[in-house]
Amino acid sequence: MYKAIFYKEWLKIRWALMIFLLLGVFALVNIFLNVRYGVRFMDAHDYWYRIIIQGSNYAASLKYIPLFAGLGLAIAQYFPEVLNQRIKLTFHLPIRENKVLLMQQGFGLAALIVLFLIYLAVFFIGSAIFFPSEVINMILVTIMPWFLGGLAAYSLVGLIMLEPLWLYRVLYAVIAYGFVSRFYIQAVPMAYSNMLWFFSLTAVLTVILVLFSGYRFRKGEMHHG
Amino acid sequence: MYAIECNNLTHYYGKKLVYENLNFKVEEGKILGLLGKNGAGKSTTINIMNGFLHPYAGECLIYGEDSQHLTPATKEKIGFLIEGHVQYAFMNVHQIEKFYSGCYKRWNSEPYWELLSKLQVTPNQKISRMSCGQRSQVALGLILAQDPQLLVLDDFSMGLDPGYRRLFIDYLREYAKANNKTVFVTSHIIQDMERLIDDLLIMDYNRILAQQPVDEFMTKFRQYNIILDNPDIPFPKNGLSVNVEQIRAKVSFYTYAERKEVEGYLNREGIPFKSIEEINMNLEDAFIGLTGKY
Repeated sequence: MYKAIFYKEWLKIRWALMIFLLLGVFALVNIFLNVRYGVRFMDAHDYWYRIIIQGSNYAASLKYIPLFAGLGLAIAQYFPEVLNQRIKLTFHLPIRENKVLLMQQGFGLAALIVLFLIYLAVFFIGSAIFFPSEVINMILVTIMPWFLGGLAAYSLVGLIMLEPLWLYRVLYAVIAYGFVSRFYIQAVPMAYSNMLWFFSLTAVLTVILVLFSGYRFRKGEMHHG
Repeated sequence: MYAIECNNLTHYYGKKLVYENLNFKVEEGKILGLLGKNGAGKSTTINIMNGFLHPYAGECLIYGEDSQHLTPATKEKIGFLIEGHVQYAFMNVHQIEKFYSGCYKRWNSEPYWELLSKLQVTPNQKISRMSCGQRSQVALGLILAQDPQLLVLDDFSMGLDPGYRRLFIDYLREYAKANNKTVFVTSHIIQDMERLIDDLLIMDYNRILAQQPVDEFMTKFRQYNIILDNPDIPFPKNGLSVNVEQIRAKVSFYTYAERKEVEGYLNREGIPFKSIEEINMNLEDAFIGLTGKY
């Protein structure tokens, strides 16, 4: 059963995953080409000064890519389920409804985490060419909320899309926007280093919210409107 | 144990009553057709039976389990065709077979490929690119391959041309009878039902109008065309009458009574008539006779 569910999820997200993999890697390569240009062809001393003393973030253009990846993957996964209420087929499979939702959500989340790890690996390798570990760590802590925001956005799209009533969807979307935007506040490097645990915790907690929409769907809320 | 047992089902949409204290049972091995006009509560019943709607009151048991909390073992016994033959349309015919075969222990792909061999589809053609008729065969093939004990088919005829409807019905009936399957089916097209079902359940707004074997219903429910002597005398709509449609002197009288009883009834009520003739009805005529045209 696990294999079958994961197969279905894979069929839904594979193209989105591929697109965001290419997009992220392309963005990162572009970032390091710019860094290389800055170090080699501008004044390297000046460039380092801007990063270390002035707190410029060389990876700034990566900012919204994890967010878009989270949104894109969730839409790729949940749109085919809500179209024509196909989620009924999923709920009808011989498996507990909450379990199948968590399996779907878990698979999507795992895929997103793998994608983000690839981003981070490329980021790490690229950074290691130009910067010492202190700088890399500083930037890593700064960009980490962006990735956690991507995970939270992924989970919240599931909650919104599976919700049977449009009014609630809009309400959830507004709250989700307010919540996820907290992960993307413009800040100097390390400003949120003490808050990383909070970002991580809230991002993880959003994962199970999809169960609430699943419950409302099975209760038949869409029939009462 | 019954395959389906609904007890005192009551449901409202807001303040609008759909039905109150609805009771029905479906015996194992029977093909039951749920008939009703639009809005009579067919979809409500199907949704409650499949656990997609909590009823206001009452319960619906599937193999003895509350439909709102079916165990995976019971869900495995139920094949469910969603209205419009909805399936995972982003898959092609091979992918969808591979997916479902991993979900059901009793999976037997033979009937699926047999049905698909009749279609002009390429192996990699996505379901979303198929015609409605082709999709219906994919959906039916998947249910047959699942080998469930109970098949719940919600408006299977929607969007199908006559050829596909006939193919669907003939295949389904033969399969169900050969394998002692229970089938619960709804359809907008009543003609189809006559070829398919053993028992019928006719719903009208808020109530059940008939629940019995089709043969019994077709034998006992009758239409008489009566030509009145005087069209100005109002024709009674009580007593033996189930439904009366009158156009001046011509009355279509629907009843469970035999001809002699009807004649005696008209005499007792003081309604002179020129002639009375029993009309042969098919299931669609009988359905309209019972529920009315409006």
